[in-house]
Amino acid sequence: MAAFDREALTVNGVEVTVQTAGAGEPLVFFHGAGTVTGFDALLPLAERFRLIVPYHPGYGPSADDPSVDSIHDYVLHYLDLFDQLGLDEVTLAGHSMGGLLASWFAIEQTPRVKRLVLAAPLGLRVPEHPTTDIFTVPDEELLGYLTPDLSVFEGHVPMPPTPEFLAERYRESTSTARMFWGRVYDLKLPRWLHRLTMPALLLWGDQDRLIPPGQAAVWAELLPNAEVRMLPGVGHLPFDETPAAAEAVVRFAAEGLPV
Amino acid sequence: MSVLDQVKFYFFHHHHYAAVPADEASYPATWVVPPGHLFDPVKGHALYQRHMRSMRLADELPFDGICINEHHNTVYSMTPAVSLMAAAIATATKNAKIMVAGVPVNLTTPNRLAEEYAMLDVMSGGRMEFAFPLGTGMEYWSNAGSVNPTTGRARFRESLDVILKAWTEEGPIRYDGDFYTYRYLNPWPKPFQKPHPKCFIVGSGSRETVELAVDYGLGYSLVFIPIPAQLKAFERMRELAEERGRTVTPDDLIIVVIAYVADTDEEAVREARPHIERFFSWFHRVPPKFLLPPGYVSRDEFLRRASDPALAHGTEASWEDMVAIGRIACGSPDTVADTVAHWCEEARCARVNVVLEHGDMPEWKTVKNMNLFANEVIPRVRAKAAAAAAEPALAPVGVE
Repeated sequence: MAAFDREALTVNGVEVTVQTAGAGEPLVFFHGAGTVTGFDALLPLAERFRLIVPYHPGYGPSADDPSVDSIHDYVLHYLDLFDQLGLDEVTLAGHSMGGLLASWFAIEQTPRVKRLVLAAPLGLRVPEHPTTDIFTVPDEELLGYLTPDLSVFEGHVPMPPTPEFLAERYRESTSTARMFWGRVYDLKLPRWLHRLTMPALLLWGDQDRLIPPGQAAVWAELLPNAEVRMLPGVGHLPFDETPAAAEAVVRFAAEGLPV
Repeated sequence: MSVLDQVKFYFFHHHHYAAVPADEASYPATWVVPPGHLFDPVKGHALYQRHMRSMRLADELPFDGICINEHHNTVYSMTPAVSLMAAAIATATKNAKIMVAGVPVNLTTPNRLAEEYAMLDVMSGGRMEFAFPLGTGMEYWSNAGSVNPTTGRARFRESLDVILKAWTEEGPIRYDGDFYTYRYLNPWPKPFQKPHPKCFIVGSGSRETVELAVDYGLGYSLVFIPIPAQLKAFERMRELAEERGRTVTPDDLIIVVIAYVADTDEEAVREARPHIERFFSWFHRVPPKFLLPPGYVSRDEFLRRASDPALAHGTEASWEDMVAIGRIACGSPDTVADTVAHWCEEARCARVNVVLEHGDMPEWKTVKNMNLFANEVIPRVRAKAAAAAAEPALAPVGVE
């Protein structure tokens, strides 16, 4: 399987790292609020696409930019980055917080998004199935909230965690708090989801303790053209936990088949 | 000249909810998430009355002032609205200065705080002083959602700017800030003291808060950190002030002292130690997560703290550790006076906020301690200044 090429780019003054693999139509993946497990689990997508996984400002090797402090700032950052990479029409995928970001990008730039993949997206307030406020999860329980299969962290999370590792998580948590300390949902989102008329795939682990799978039906109702794929036994990290997640994306995005 | 000439002693009271449950070991935190059932309003009422007795006593004894503070969601403090307590103290006392140290400005709006504090100053006939804290990490969890810790420091700075302008510039004025905008900034009443009551920044010695104090010409009050770090912070403040053409006087610097006085050193330690230990083990029981909400400090500062075992496990320190690193003075009047005088001279500071009620201490010990400190320690410290002045000069006058 191919590996990622890493490139450092300066986008309107902020240095970001972009990972790419494969060739073909572009598929851009927006990661969630954590980058601990890396993105190798996405590499099967590179067999059918030019896979592009940028690190958001404030995450992983990308630099901080405290002035990018709202989801809309990130949308604008990605308009800059897409211009710089010469990306016009893309398949856009996003996981968790990246799913909310992908949704807003597609709401505002509808013609540029050919297909949309949302994996356990953040953003809706669903009182019957509330999103866990990740800021309140005790440190020692966090990994268990992310996935029932702790083996996905092997080789990624030092045990016990080193100060350096914790500091990096604190930094990413700070970037997330800039946007979501106030609340872990976006009240404006449902008002505009009707604009996402492109084919959309909702992927969800049925054991997701962070953003409960019960939210999938609400998304499916608000999106005009979405299908839902529920992954049995899977938590909040579907791509890390099962190859079925990437396979579903390939079927949906490359082959236009029902998943 | 010795700083002991000018040293002022403020009776610093935390207003703990002092009823410690018998099963205290079973509660992982006494901040942010202490179970609500631990609060008994009948005990709470009795404690407010007891605390007010202490305030009146402090006013009658030769203390220069009273100092009170604010914390939220915690057994540590029964004064989450500290201005209310200040108003009660202002009417219950006649002489003492009242230092409010203070409302975390980010939890309110600066115009409202300028109003509240000016009200207190006018009500008390100009007896107020204010120390402004950024607020502990815990205050941000307790008010989660409304105050973002990632912008806390920038917001704090701007709030101070608003308050000081509101007090010193002829209103109404317009203010166009990053966090606050005012079409008509014009709080009413205006402070009794001109240009405004004496103000301090409360901090742990970070470069940021020291700079803030120097930039606005305010004093600096340190929280409980190891003594060498305190001395370094004051030194940094004096240096920075000099660079910027300002002067820091001993009256601008506050140290916080934990003291207990008895007839002998042994008696003092015996009577105080269990309560001071309780003060740290119960009243400071804070999981590390609550100390540092995201963005409250930088990544590098987080790394510094996570790498230092003493900082990472601060609330588990032993009695010996605490006495070795902090300003804890327990002993006879001579011992405590010697220790406090030494600390003031070493730090070149002329303000001592002295904590005399510790943790779950019974009232008789508080009263005994207050009387002995005020009547036996304070005069001994002041006598040292007189003694120093009476000694023949060792060097010719004018030579430093």
